[in-house]
Amino acid sequence: MANRISALEGHYNPRRYGKEGSIGITLTEVRDLTLHQIAGWVDTMDAVGKKGATAVGAKEAPGPCSASHGSKGAMLRIEPMKWWLYGAEAPSLASSEGATLDVSHSRTHIRLSGENATTLLNRHLPINLSEAAFPVGSVASTAFHHVGVAVWRSEEGFELFLPRGFALSLWEMLEAGAGQFGAEIV
Amino acid sequence: MTAKRLSSGGRIDRSQSLSFKWDGNIYNGYAGDTLASALMANGENVLGRSFKYHRPRGIMSAGVEESGAIVTIGEGAKKDPNVKATTQELYDGLMASGQNAFPSVRFDFGGVNNLFNKFFAAGFYYKTFMGLPPFEWGSKGTWLWMQYEKVIRNAAGMGRASREFDPDTYEHGHDFCDVMVVGSGPAGLTAALEASDAGLDVLLVEQDFMLGGDDLNRAGDLDLIAAVEASNIRVMTRTTAFGLYDYGVAGLLERVTDHMAEAPDYMPRQRFWTVRAKYTIVASGSLERHVAFGHNDRPGIMTANAGAAYLNRHGVLAGENIVISTNNDSAYSVAADLAGAGASVSMLDARETIAGATAEMASGAGIDITFNAAPMRAHGPKGIKKLEYASNSDHGWHHAGTVSCDLALISCGWSPVVNLLSHRGVKPVWNHENACFMPVESNEPLAVAGSATGHWNREDCIASGRAAATQAMNALGVSKTQVSAPANAGWENPIEPLYEVRVDSHKLKSFIDPQHDVTSDDVRLAHLEGFVSVEHLKRYTTLGMATDQGKMGNIIGIALMAEALGKDIPEVGTTTFRPPYTPISLGALTGRGVYDHFRPLRRTPMNAWNLEKGAVMMEAGLWHRPWYFPEKGEGISEAYIRETEITRNKVGLCDVTSLGKIAVQGPDATTFLNRIYTNAFAKLAIGKARYGIMLRDDGMVMDDGTTWRLSEDEYFMTTTTAHAAKVMVWLEELLQTRWQDLKVHVTSVSEQWAGIAIAGPESRNVLSKIASNAAEVTNDELPFMGVTQTTLKGGIPVRIARISFSGEMAYEAYVPSDYSRDLMDMLWEETTKVGGCLYGTEALGAMRVEKGHVTGTELDGRVTIEDAGLGGMASKKKDYIGNVLRKRPEMAKEGRPQLVGIFPVDRSKKFNAGAILCEKGKVSGFGVGWTTGVTHSPSFGHWLGVGFLEGGYKAWEGKTLIASDPTRAGDVEVEIVSPHMYDPKGERMHG
Repeated sequence: MANRISALEGHYNPRRYGKEGSIGITLTEVRDLTLHQIAGWVDTMDAVGKKGATAVGAKEAPGPCSASHGSKGAMLRIEPMKWWLYGAEAPSLASSEGATLDVSHSRTHIRLSGENATTLLNRHLPINLSEAAFPVGSVASTAFHHVGVAVWRSEEGFELFLPRGFALSLWEMLEAGAGQFGAEIV
Repeated sequence: MTAKRLSSGGRIDRSQSLSFKWDGNIYNGYAGDTLASALMANGENVLGRSFKYHRPRGIMSAGVEESGAIVTIGEGAKKDPNVKATTQELYDGLMASGQNAFPSVRFDFGGVNNLFNKFFAAGFYYKTFMGLPPFEWGSKGTWLWMQYEKVIRNAAGMGRASREFDPDTYEHGHDFCDVMVVGSGPAGLTAALEASDAGLDVLLVEQDFMLGGDDLNRAGDLDLIAAVEASNIRVMTRTTAFGLYDYGVAGLLERVTDHMAEAPDYMPRQRFWTVRAKYTIVASGSLERHVAFGHNDRPGIMTANAGAAYLNRHGVLAGENIVISTNNDSAYSVAADLAGAGASVSMLDARETIAGATAEMASGAGIDITFNAAPMRAHGPKGIKKLEYASNSDHGWHHAGTVSCDLALISCGWSPVVNLLSHRGVKPVWNHENACFMPVESNEPLAVAGSATGHWNREDCIASGRAAATQAMNALGVSKTQVSAPANAGWENPIEPLYEVRVDSHKLKSFIDPQHDVTSDDVRLAHLEGFVSVEHLKRYTTLGMATDQGKMGNIIGIALMAEALGKDIPEVGTTTFRPPYTPISLGALTGRGVYDHFRPLRRTPMNAWNLEKGAVMMEAGLWHRPWYFPEKGEGISEAYIRETEITRNKVGLCDVTSLGKIAVQGPDATTFLNRIYTNAFAKLAIGKARYGIMLRDDGMVMDDGTTWRLSEDEYFMTTTTAHAAKVMVWLEELLQTRWQDLKVHVTSVSEQWAGIAIAGPESRNVLSKIASNAAEVTNDELPFMGVTQTTLKGGIPVRIARISFSGEMAYEAYVPSDYSRDLMDMLWEETTKVGGCLYGTEALGAMRVEKGHVTGTELDGRVTIEDAGLGGMASKKKDYIGNVLRKRPEMAKEGRPQLVGIFPVDRSKKFNAGAILCEKGKVSGFGVGWTTGVTHSPSFGHWLGVGFLEGGYKAWEGKTLIASDPTRAGDVEVEIVSPHMYDPKGERMHG
């Protein structure tokens, strides 16, 4: 099988940089993203949601603006009638039931973690990412420097899904802003 | 002014000595100083030169309203002009210099302007110099005026910005809170504490580097500050709330490192915040007013409150022999403080008398008061030495005496800072009792507290802060408490409105807006010249248009205009304050969106590969696309001609990832496509692609592209690069608003798939070498407009359609983006074996012009499907979007401009895109058409183009026209040909 080349290839430079002392931000590119979209129709949303939840090993499909974490992956409600299955293959759906789509190469997956991750991300994203307003399990489609991006707060931090063509440009902005908190790229 | 630093007192840290430089001299100050307080303590009293007259100016205030001590900070690339010394925090290593002066603010040759001040009244160069007779009379233009305007501009002005690139970084930020409190005086602090105690998330914003507001200027404990610091309140100092916008949005500017000599390179200099608050409390304070009197701009004249601030906050006694002129009670506590610090203090009070606690305070401090007295004229060009004063009678003001002094403090009323309310469209109303504009209640989740709403003593400010917090808590549902705000009690002794002291028989130069050198006579002149609106007055005199935006002089100017018009101030009104409250650097507005990030840069997955192969890139919207691939010193012309020739004769590869790609899925996908495209899609077979045109509702062409049928219920649509997002949004809109019954999902997959065009006679040969199964791409298996989903060597999944934009036999192949490098490596290896090349958008454009294919350049929103020469694609058997309105008479009439091909009659001649097509002898106006795309055609060996021409090709076949391009190529004779210039029968792409 051919090699998957990241949009950040040649520009992803693992290191410790910026403010000395404790590390406030950890940036990670999560490579080899597996991401499938499943969509239902008005009368099949429940059934499609259950199939999606089964695919990721979750108890139930998430509602709007949220995610369900399962044994095989996670399920994110990304649009009113669409979910993303993260880390899992899509279930088989008849067209009368819904539609599946492999979008694994369409996004670059960046994880932000650390004490200052919320602060850094809110330097770019215009939505309230505080723990109270955007707790673990929250999902949003929002804007980053005019570009539509998806963000999901997992147990490990903020999972950013950047459109691949914009990923390097947005990565450079994140990287530049992270130094003030003491940053590490792993 | 003989200022001195006191050995004790103030809120400075005397253990932290800071060294700084002013105009080359090294001085020391302390942590907690502003540049103004430190310069004052070091005996510097001339810190600036005025805008027009170059008059010496000193410190006039202790805040953002400063109009005298305006200086330049830093040097070289980090030079920052027009900084108010009164707000600049002192730091070790600060370098500051005077501006608008040569050689220095102490001695400035530009001061000669002041000798001619009679000639420099408001609007002088409009009246005196423009149309200078006899040189610029009639139609002779204004060339001469333009020349001496440069001289005038050079002589006037403020600081000069650095011409070097800004080395600093800036960034944006977003924040959210329940309650945002603007201002940290006693009202703001109280409001923040109350709201926080109720469990609300409170953001406290303070433009100063210290919390406290007016508490800092008074002796006493800072108990409220201590309480805030011990609370959960989120505090932002060095941050100005510069604007309020819809839905609780506030714009903030945080000066992150402006107080540091050397900031770490990872820190931004400033941060531009967008804060979304559920409730906003404005406790922005009030500004003390001056009064217009003769030479009231002399160094050593400042607001009374500034005298208190320098004493109680910075430990600097601004003068030893002080006269305070007032019309209200607030200056008496200042007088008492200064007297207590050892100064000799006397007072001029415009009122007839005072009583009560204020009088007792003055008496207790031993202060000599002259009633019915106001300043008339100051003496001492570089530092006040004496002050003439006047008394009022039935006949107006008359000279009454002279008092020696080294500092004059003025307190002629207070103006609540209503700017932020004004941003929300709340018009302040004039309050006669307090002689100021007061804010009125807003219907938004917003409250005003403290002196910003006319409370003049600390207890009332605290009470109003508490009331504002209660309003916020009620609005946010955490309390239901009766709001009990203190009434506006006014002053203990009523204020005596005073805006100007004019004395008959004395010619006085009285400034009302010192920063722009606007005098009281300028206002009267404007009135004499017919300006009756305060907005016009502002623009004619430039009153309130300097960096302080009228903070110091607006009210006086309005009052004088009202007097001139014989009206009351409320009838004249006030100007509308607009953001920003204080100046913002352009860098902060752009944030990190500079250089390559000015717009988000969109790279194709082959971007690095293309660059490695020597691509010269161009911007196509946000995309970076290969423009051409020069070899051995080629320029663009040589490169694209070579690329075109090789592609037409062998094979060329072109990155077409930027085309929009949309997955259309669902049982009703066919029905959906049949409705949006003009041509039929109902019977498109699986494994086939079709070229389609979609129209807007109004019948104009929106976009074109090919759509591939992948399965019974799934299509892969491609759009133009330019219209990809527009088409995606359009499809979503149709599904969500008009055709909710259709079971169709559309998803942009532009980022999922990397696209390559393989064009030329050898394209099938090349493709067959990299396909896992070469038999799948034979002419039989993959004929023209055929589609296959298969794999390439290495197991790379691929979608291939045999479609052509170049006019050659060609394929578009799409692989998942992360595999694009493997795809390109394989393709390139086989392409080079047959002598093929890479080609960019220039060659792509050349080939499409030769073929007469339309692009976004032609499909500019004014073109019908017939205009584009594609009328045959408009189905007569079905309905589709745009089908009704495209048949309107105007759009269906004969003679509309239609697509044509264009050759120069003299084949050696060049003509340009954008040229107007005119009939011979009628080269004027809009002509009969225009050119949209031209190229030097490698296939024909001469220039050719496409364009639109009234009536189209058939109306002009064999006729010659003029391609008129007066600013570039001039007139070129052209002949009109079919737009399908190259291989009109399409034999090559079917080969």
